[in-house]
Amino acid sequence: MSKDWLSRLSRVATIILLLVALSVISPAFLSAQNLTNVLRQASLLFLLAAGLTVVILTAGIDLSIGSVLALSASVAANFIQQGWVWGGSLIGLFIGAACGLLNGLMVALIGLPAFIATYGMLWVAAGFAQVFMKGEIISGFPTSFRLLGAGHLLGIPVPILVMAAVLAAVAFTLRRTSFGRYVYAIGANREAARLSGINIRGNLLLVYSLSGLVSAFAGLVYVSRINAVESTIGEPLLLPALAAVCIGGTSLFGGEGGIEGTLVGALIMTLVTNGMNLLNVSPYWQSFVMGAIVVLAVAIDQLGSEKAGRT
Amino acid sequence: MGDDFVLQFEGISKQFPGVKALEDVSFDLRRGEVHMLVGENGAGKSTLIKILAGAHRHDAGRIVINGQPAEIQNPAQALARGVSVIYQEFNLVPFLSVAQNIFLGREPRHPKIPGLIDHARMNAESRALLESLGVDIDPRTMVHYLGVAQQQMVEVVKALSVNAQIVVMDEPTSALTTREIEQLFAAIRRLTARGVGVIYISHRLEEVFQIGDRVTVLRDGKWIASMNVRDATMDVIIQAMVGRTIDRLFHRDFMTDKGQVALAVRNLHRHGVLQDINMTVRCGEIVGLAGLVGAGRTELARVIFGADPYDAGEVTIFGRTLRGSPVECVAIGVGFLPEDRKREGLALILPLRENVVMASLRRLFPSGIIRRAKERGVVSDFVKSLDIATPSINRMTKFLSGGTQQKVVLAKWLCTQSRFLIFDEPTRGIDVGAKAEIHQLMNELVKQGAAILMISSELPEALNMSDRIYVMHKGRITKELSREEATQEAILRHAMGVTI
Amino acid sequence: MSDNVWRAWARRATMAPGAVYALILLSLIFSLFTAQFLTLPNLANVGMQAAVLVIVALGMTLIILSEGIDLSLGPVLGLAGVILALCVKQQMPLALAILLAILVGAAFGALNGVLVAHLGLPPFVVTLGTFGMAQGLALVLTEGASIPGLGPGIQYFNDGLIAGLPVPIVMTAITFLVIYVILYHTKFGTYVFALGGNQEALGLAGVPVRLYKTGVYVLGGALAGVGALVMTGRMNAAHPTVGVGLEFDAIASVLLGGTSFERGKGWLAGTLIGVAAVSVLRNGLNLIGLSTSWQVSMVGTVIILAIVVDALRGI
Repeated sequence: MSKDWLSRLSRVATIILLLVALSVISPAFLSAQNLTNVLRQASLLFLLAAGLTVVILTAGIDLSIGSVLALSASVAANFIQQGWVWGGSLIGLFIGAACGLLNGLMVALIGLPAFIATYGMLWVAAGFAQVFMKGEIISGFPTSFRLLGAGHLLGIPVPILVMAAVLAAVAFTLRRTSFGRYVYAIGANREAARLSGINIRGNLLLVYSLSGLVSAFAGLVYVSRINAVESTIGEPLLLPALAAVCIGGTSLFGGEGGIEGTLVGALIMTLVTNGMNLLNVSPYWQSFVMGAIVVLAVAIDQLGSEKAGRT
Repeated sequence: MGDDFVLQFEGISKQFPGVKALEDVSFDLRRGEVHMLVGENGAGKSTLIKILAGAHRHDAGRIVINGQPAEIQNPAQALARGVSVIYQEFNLVPFLSVAQNIFLGREPRHPKIPGLIDHARMNAESRALLESLGVDIDPRTMVHYLGVAQQQMVEVVKALSVNAQIVVMDEPTSALTTREIEQLFAAIRRLTARGVGVIYISHRLEEVFQIGDRVTVLRDGKWIASMNVRDATMDVIIQAMVGRTIDRLFHRDFMTDKGQVALAVRNLHRHGVLQDINMTVRCGEIVGLAGLVGAGRTELARVIFGADPYDAGEVTIFGRTLRGSPVECVAIGVGFLPEDRKREGLALILPLRENVVMASLRRLFPSGIIRRAKERGVVSDFVKSLDIATPSINRMTKFLSGGTQQKVVLAKWLCTQSRFLIFDEPTRGIDVGAKAEIHQLMNELVKQGAAILMISSELPEALNMSDRIYVMHKGRITKELSREEATQEAILRHAMGVTI
Repeated sequence: MSDNVWRAWARRATMAPGAVYALILLSLIFSLFTAQFLTLPNLANVGMQAAVLVIVALGMTLIILSEGIDLSLGPVLGLAGVILALCVKQQMPLALAILLAILVGAAFGALNGVLVAHLGLPPFVVTLGTFGMAQGLALVLTEGASIPGLGPGIQYFNDGLIAGLPVPIVMTAITFLVIYVILYHTKFGTYVFALGGNQEALGLAGVPVRLYKTGVYVLGGALAGVGALVMTGRMNAAHPTVGVGLEFDAIASVLLGGTSFERGKGWLAGTLIGVAAVSVLRNGLNLIGLSTSWQVSMVGTVIILAIVVDALRGI
């Protein structure tokens, strides 16, 4: 219990430290515009990491989220640009869920290791996204669609509202529904969960499908925000999302953590990126930093839990 | 005469938290003899062997090897003293050759090219070793393609190749056919002919007479008797094994008229594990399932619960013939308290509260949405009624004691309102107080009309608690004993496959 | 008698890895659909292009045999190429530059190995993290641009001939032989099988398990450095992202070749067949006129099918 509080505290402390450091370094940081910007960026990352969090809670992994986002966004954008806002969005969501379902089938039914099944899906989806886009960029979407990523509601940017809604929905699902309990039980001890009469396969299928669906949704928000799409938009997103989940304290071994942590993780990751921009650090450093953060976060988490005696 | 002994245990004691595993155990092993080690489950055989192998440290007493006191602190030191233990799970690498497995970690160097392994020498030496035991296996074969018996032989050869003077075999014949057993025995005789001392743990009494020179009986962590096999009879050995008095710790109320049939198993068969199982359990009774480790009791329980598949036969619970899945079983009111509660019964990193309701979410919250107050109420009630010692219902389960953890598993199944419960070793590793409480609960449950199938390795527990007892041996039910017929001797006799 | 022979053959056929079938089937299809496929220049081209993949896939084979995975090998190869090019541009002696490139690969392998073996972290997460690190370093060092025109010393690794054979082919052959000897004739190789097959037995035999596990990743990283040499020679340039995706082809080749994540099951020659299948697939799709994007999805689909079929066959 005390370890739990300590690690939570350390995460909040990290955020405060980052905030203070960044505002000292750059006066521009504390401007309302920049802070809103940070939140808006964090919301995109958080959306993608939300589905991943649930997958990791079941002691699984989904490496395909970035390319599933790209594939579904590419296809959806094509229709949306022609004016089919709802139809296109639904097709995008459907594609995302279908990719997730395929992942789930491979993991839950055939029993492949999650990392290799979703790694294969990563490339299949990325390939099809490229095939579909033929290297082109689609841009210029109807205003009704742009509301999702760039609009405001009651003066608040819509993506931030979306983030709040998804946070609430996932938090509620994880804590207050039977499905959420099954997610934790499967991740904490799969055999005990099975022997308690929990339908492992069905729940895992649902979890992976949801991950695909959420990725597709994140894709829609993303496209709507930057008003353009190309086939490679998903590539650089996997590492930050994984980093957000790991920093957020969700254990890669399953059953420990939650969506609130991922929000904190997404905020930290965004602050780091934002800080690097403010400091004029070459954007080429970003992928190094993301990678290093993933490695450090999992290493520290593991060292901590070894001391805490997790079995 | 001291030279004659290759190994002497002198007053070995070992204390585990809450349990005295070994108490002042002394016996010795002569050069070139097969020394059988027998005893009920939990008699201390495994602990003794683990101390010899360097996996555990003893608290008191000493081990003397070749007349010299030996400090064995890790497996490497045991190996260096010439002790080789063949465990039940094999320590073989499947996709390496037989020779590579025999020499794993001790690969001979190539005479000419530095850094390389001398495969020719490794194969030749392995072949010689295999031949010396009369085993017909090509040392270049991959272990993966060998049968269980052949893998066993490779283990024996591995033991021999390290120049072991003491070879320990833990139930080596449990997976072998009659012909393969003969082969193994022939190999053992060749081992002893070279002066190797063999400690042979067995749950089959007939083997004592087939291969043993001497036999030592342990019971409840104490040395009971050692004797020459030719002077012993089965009755003498069984007497030594069961000689303990049954303390009437727990009181059972037996019901005269039983209720409906809860479980009916017909001609159940699982290849290599279970053969032709027929049994019934009625409401209002506790049916014991006795037998020694490896007899197939847990396997049977898991098949009944749908956790493992079966090949033929039929399982009917409350009149419904099952297709076989835990989901289905839980839905119709079956509960299963597994033997290994930490690995199979509980999610240790989750709070007590979530473990208790884990199997009943569908019943408690049909809408799929958890109502906190109701959950707290249900869990608190169980904490009270089962007297679960915890500071809070949100306590992480791994911080609870063994007995409390078992009560949490029990609460999980009471919460589902199960009417048929399968208890696999319900009181293993639990202190006396909690044990009595769990027995009391079982008694209450059947009085209220539940049916219980109880696997127990503790004979007094099985005898005291059961209305009837099925005894298993080698995957078969060898005997059904009524309460009147059931004695420790009778159970052990059938559990060890003694037919006369 | 003949019945038995047939049965033995049939059994052998069902035991063969997916790559054998994939290779035969793909070759047949491409020979039918394009006239170019079955020509000597084209096949030589396939061989030359496959050289880098073989070198990386050999390291990957050992890593997967030990029940691990290394997603960072592609970017590490890219980084090693960048280091090589930078050193050459600094007029450093070629031998030293090559050594440094290989050392960088080995260093990343060591980082992966320590994190996996000593901290017990899941290898796919660790190596995804180091993927980003290697990728980032390569980009930072080059500011995202290629380093072209490295001169004859580097070009030799593509154009040169040894005993009438192209250098990449010779290097690949030598690498294969060295890894073959290591895997089948040294303690290290024996322990690679044991790491995947029965780690506990290896520990009980008194072998320092973690040390050897780390060693597997170091070897894999060093081989990525060797691969960088051939890759840089082929392009006469270093590009920071050239290696990305190579790890995927390598994993695909290894799994197609019948090496499995479990129980230390696998063989080195299978990886060669796997590389051949992947290379033929890419080459054939090229000839038919399908873009790289199609190739990516096709390779992805083939690899998923191969694993699924292997899982269903239960081997």
